[in-house]
Amino acid sequence: MNRRSDTWLAYFMILPVVAAVLAFVIGPTWDVGTLSLTSVVMGQERGFGTLSNFRALFADPVFPTVVKNTAIWILGGTILCVMTGLAVGMFLAIDSKMTMGLRAIILLPWVLPDVVTAMAWKWMLHGQVGVIGDYISRMGLTDGAISFLGNPDLVMWMLVIVLIWRKMPLVALILCAAIRSVPSEQLEAARMDGANGWHRFRFVVVPNIAFSLTAVTVISMIWITAEFTLPWVMTGGGPANSSQIMSTYIYQQSFQFFNWGVGSAMSVVNLVFLMTVVGLYLYINRRSWAAGGNS
Amino acid sequence: MGSVTLRNIRKSYGPVEVLHGIDLDVADGEFVVLVGPSGCGKSTLLRSLAGLETISAGDISIDDKVINGLEPKNRDIAMVFQNYALYPHMKVRENMAFSLKLNKVPKDEIESKVAKAAEILSLTAMLDRYPKQLSGGQRQRVAMGRAIVRDPKVFLFDEPLSNLDAKLRVQMRSEIKELHQRLGTTIVYVTHDQIEAMTMADKIVVMKDGHVEQIGAPLDLYDTPANLFVAGFIGSPSMNFMSCTAQGGKAVLSNGQVLGAAPAGLGEGQAFTAGVRPEHFVIGSGALDAPVTLVEPTGAEIQFTVDIAGDHVLITTRDRVTARLGDTLNLSVEPGKLHAFDPETGARLGGV
Repeated sequence: MNRRSDTWLAYFMILPVVAAVLAFVIGPTWDVGTLSLTSVVMGQERGFGTLSNFRALFADPVFPTVVKNTAIWILGGTILCVMTGLAVGMFLAIDSKMTMGLRAIILLPWVLPDVVTAMAWKWMLHGQVGVIGDYISRMGLTDGAISFLGNPDLVMWMLVIVLIWRKMPLVALILCAAIRSVPSEQLEAARMDGANGWHRFRFVVVPNIAFSLTAVTVISMIWITAEFTLPWVMTGGGPANSSQIMSTYIYQQSFQFFNWGVGSAMSVVNLVFLMTVVGLYLYINRRSWAAGGNS
Repeated sequence: MGSVTLRNIRKSYGPVEVLHGIDLDVADGEFVVLVGPSGCGKSTLLRSLAGLETISAGDISIDDKVINGLEPKNRDIAMVFQNYALYPHMKVRENMAFSLKLNKVPKDEIESKVAKAAEILSLTAMLDRYPKQLSGGQRQRVAMGRAIVRDPKVFLFDEPLSNLDAKLRVQMRSEIKELHQRLGTTIVYVTHDQIEAMTMADKIVVMKDGHVEQIGAPLDLYDTPANLFVAGFIGSPSMNFMSCTAQGGKAVLSNGQVLGAAPAGLGEGQAFTAGVRPEHFVIGSGALDAPVTLVEPTGAEIQFTVDIAGDHVLITTRDRVTARLGDTLNLSVEPGKLHAFDPETGARLGGV
């Protein structure tokens, strides 16, 4: 009797969260899924159960560019973000007065709003009035100011650099915390065993922070995949779609061209990609010795 | 070969000096135990020897070669840590092979050395397990195996048994001692447990507040402690201390009763602290009357707490004495077993 009412109480307590998840996560996802399989013409639904949206998407001449740019954005962004984050985290893990101060102020890029960051960098990188191009040309490194965001070959990498500037600090802090929790006896034992700095990093530090490292890699990948404001405000996908990535293209197709079908098809592709990443993460973590705890 | 010489070792953290000039000679193959209460500097001394801490002054040499400035890996020393410090992501085999692998020893040689060490430590069946799949004692043995495979000149042990339960500690104690007898390598061993020190050491170094209090063989320290601190620290249950005055060759307590013969060499009327070990009282044959305040039979012996001149004094006997609470015991001290110490400096007084 008592037990049964406890069960009901438990269900009742989680009801608001379940309802919210159903209404705001499962529902919209379901809608996008069905929409991607529905043919839409002039805002009118014309038949369900067609792959015409996906066919249209793969026939779109911009789509290969979007895929290539998204690969640079997600893979390049994640790998560089984690690698610089690891290097900065190693540095911050050293105990000194300087690193203690730096640990606090390194989060500054992270607390700025996305739009502010994007606008600031957009103007700093501007072809005519940008302070960075001006500085480089005054040093005599280039003949004139470079249009960082106007050059189709450069623009993606510029976005990646700004992305790293913005996302790396938290990665660095998380990894710094993980590095600082590596048992000092293990490092000392390694020193006694004849390990140099690189050996200690490779054979003691990295295995000990493997759990944080995979987690932070996957989380950055998800953040970066979902990141929209930065590229949209800085370039809007331009020039001529040369910095168009999945998130900006979905937005453009859906909310500027009202091409719901193709937009939702692309969202489904995005979703499948993200689920693959998360699935991979869960698989690696389950297999990892770290998942069993360090006892 | 592996003789260690420490000369005037000093270590400061900023303005605070924690080692105040330590001198120590360890002969090749000797088992030396550094013992003392927490914060006495014994671990710091060991870590300085290992090269994990830098020293502020003095010379550390192994086989007459000064190694002050050498990196830990170049000192030919292996260390076993209190919490084992095994690499959790490596199997037992890889843990033991790690140092050899870093030193680019050929694979078949690594394999034979690991196999040999595993056999010595009965770890052969566990070579392919991870540390977390082992018990505390097994992990401790792996940590020792990691040291053995390197065949170093000196083994260092930093409180290796503190994380084990009491029963396992006794077992590992004898295993380490047997290992030492088998390998014959010099061992410097740090512990705060005086029983570990007594049972294992060839030579004990008692430390306190960054000073060496006494160096000697276990039984020498037990029989002739150099000062009040060593007398109280070595031995369990510990030595009883009572304030006495030397009068006519007798040690006279503050209430006028005679404790026993005072050691030779004390001046008439000199005040001193008398120390008597619990087992050195003889019951039933003395002039000293003491009321019993507590009786604790342990089986092998009986512990009596008695009141002597207002001090609680512990007495142990292997005889089946039937005295109860409130009874009075007639006590005397075995001849020559009464130690005298200076009440001010704590130094040993009188003839040996």
